[in-house]
Amino acid sequence: MKSLPRAERSYIRRRNAADRLWRFFRFLILFGLGFIILYPLLYMISCTFRDRSDMTDPTVLWIPRHPTLSVLKDTIEAMDFWNALRNTLVINVGCSFMQVASCALTGYGFARFSFRGKKLLFGIVILMMLVPTQIISLPLFFQFRFFGIKGVFSRNLIDSVWTMYLPAMTANGIRSGLMILIFRQFFRGLPRELEDAAYIDGCGPFMTFVRVMIPNAIPAFLTVFLFSIVWYWNDYYVSTMFFHNTRTVSTMLYNLDSELSLRMFGDATIKMSPREQIVWKQASCLLSITPLLILYTFLQKYFTEGIERSGLVG
Amino acid sequence: MKAEITKKQRRRPRSSYEKRKARYGYGFISLWLVGTLLFFLIPLVKSMIYSFSSVSIEPGNLKVEWAGLSNYRHAVSKDPQYTDLLEETLIETLWKTPLILIFSLFIAVVLNQKFRGRTLSRAIFFLPVIIATGPVYEIISGDIKSTGNTGAAQFSTMFRTDLVGDLMQFLGVYGMSGRITNFITAVADNVFGIVWSSGIQILLFLAALQNIPSSAREAAQLEGATSWEYFWKITLPCVSPFILANLIFTVIDSFTNPMNKVMRRIMTFQNEDMNYGLAAAMAWIYFAVVLIAVGILSAVISRFIYYENE
Repeated sequence: MKSLPRAERSYIRRRNAADRLWRFFRFLILFGLGFIILYPLLYMISCTFRDRSDMTDPTVLWIPRHPTLSVLKDTIEAMDFWNALRNTLVINVGCSFMQVASCALTGYGFARFSFRGKKLLFGIVILMMLVPTQIISLPLFFQFRFFGIKGVFSRNLIDSVWTMYLPAMTANGIRSGLMILIFRQFFRGLPRELEDAAYIDGCGPFMTFVRVMIPNAIPAFLTVFLFSIVWYWNDYYVSTMFFHNTRTVSTMLYNLDSELSLRMFGDATIKMSPREQIVWKQASCLLSITPLLILYTFLQKYFTEGIERSGLVG
Repeated sequence: MKAEITKKQRRRPRSSYEKRKARYGYGFISLWLVGTLLFFLIPLVKSMIYSFSSVSIEPGNLKVEWAGLSNYRHAVSKDPQYTDLLEETLIETLWKTPLILIFSLFIAVVLNQKFRGRTLSRAIFFLPVIIATGPVYEIISGDIKSTGNTGAAQFSTMFRTDLVGDLMQFLGVYGMSGRITNFITAVADNVFGIVWSSGIQILLFLAALQNIPSSAREAAQLEGATSWEYFWKITLPCVSPFILANLIFTVIDSFTNPMNKVMRRIMTFQNEDMNYGLAAAMAWIYFAVVLIAVGILSAVISRFIYYENE
């Protein structure tokens, strides 16, 4: 260090100072913005375990004075949580499994094969991303209401799981256009030699996909799988459209207002003031995202470390 | 040798490997093809027809009567809220999108640096990805039926005071036009919304940044480039394709969100008033506006994009 000329030493000192300053600011920025993100979650947790009287107590900001589990128990009952959770697992998580599989197949077809009309068909995939679900949801509703061939047979599929399963199985579920696109980009990035080698070893195109491509695409699958579960889990629009008696976690949360009034006053139409509901609302939010959070902690390393391998990069 | 092969191909054109592969291609997409026809294209056409008709439910069936352009006329000129909401949503999207893009690029650059706690910070910044699409977000952002002092409402009161104005006065900037101050205040008020809706954008930008070879950074350092220059000369051109992708994603995401005001208006016609024709017409007008917006934006942006492989 001493042997360096003076100008160089001062340069290094200046750079170190700038580095330290930047590190300090980076910490400030990340901490502040991280707080914005974590704030509602912390607030949820704080609300869930406090007594209702603590809400009006101005001295209680974060740590409840009367910690209690009764709010949590009430909310579980009001949401019919275990039932809703089972429905969600059967319908939404089932759908996301099917959707990942069907979208992977379609994406692979678009990425690795050339056939006539491919450009036009891929244009339809792009269109699927652009068209809001709201445009097609109503005709879709009637289609499921009178499902079948006109004059031959007709069945009412509303309120049955098939309204969600059928589109998911055929790569037409929630945000499927985006998922097909992600898979296509990913499979296009895999080397062609893999395919040729598999062909020489006697694999047909389908076995190549199952035996060679899928094992190479595990990170991409996990990423898309997490997205798919999240989108299906959070969906209430399609679910409320097609289910009237079956309740999922998201639809329960969406209709919590009337459910709460029903339980407290015996009348669903009474409007409660937002302040009164807030503990239950926060508790129900916490309940409904907890499974996602658990899943996220297991899968987050695929996001945070190796996104470049996950197929999100074209 | 070559002639021999083509001769063989001519003799048995159907079973050549490429042809078989093409057939397999159809095989791979066949599931999707059936599904798209049933659950996307047919409903799309039907909804188009509904928008030109008056639709009513009769027991056991649906009655569709041709009504020409009357639904469209009603949506544009007679409905008291529709055009206002449309304009509001459009303007909000137009100023929010650039902010989201700039913010998420900045955060992605920061999260791409090496420091302690990087994994934790990334995990936190991606959290909105798993929450922000659902009803939970509506509740915590205080958007739904004004939920009182939920997270965001309470949070943004921190900014609601005239901090920006005070700061400007302190700095001696008096003559600033009200519009700019309004804009800054609006941004400050919406910090919550912007941070919460940039999860996927950060994810995509980070992926793009990780794709820049480390040799680029070394070369730039050897040439004596500062981090500032590095950002403008190397980082930005490299991620520019992703700026377009993110732009389109952001615009579509905010337009097709069921929490969006226009969508809610359309849904009230569909679910409460049972005026399906009108709802369909409104949805189609909206879709056309979205398409035009996306088209213009991507045409403008794509002129500034740098592709490495071309």
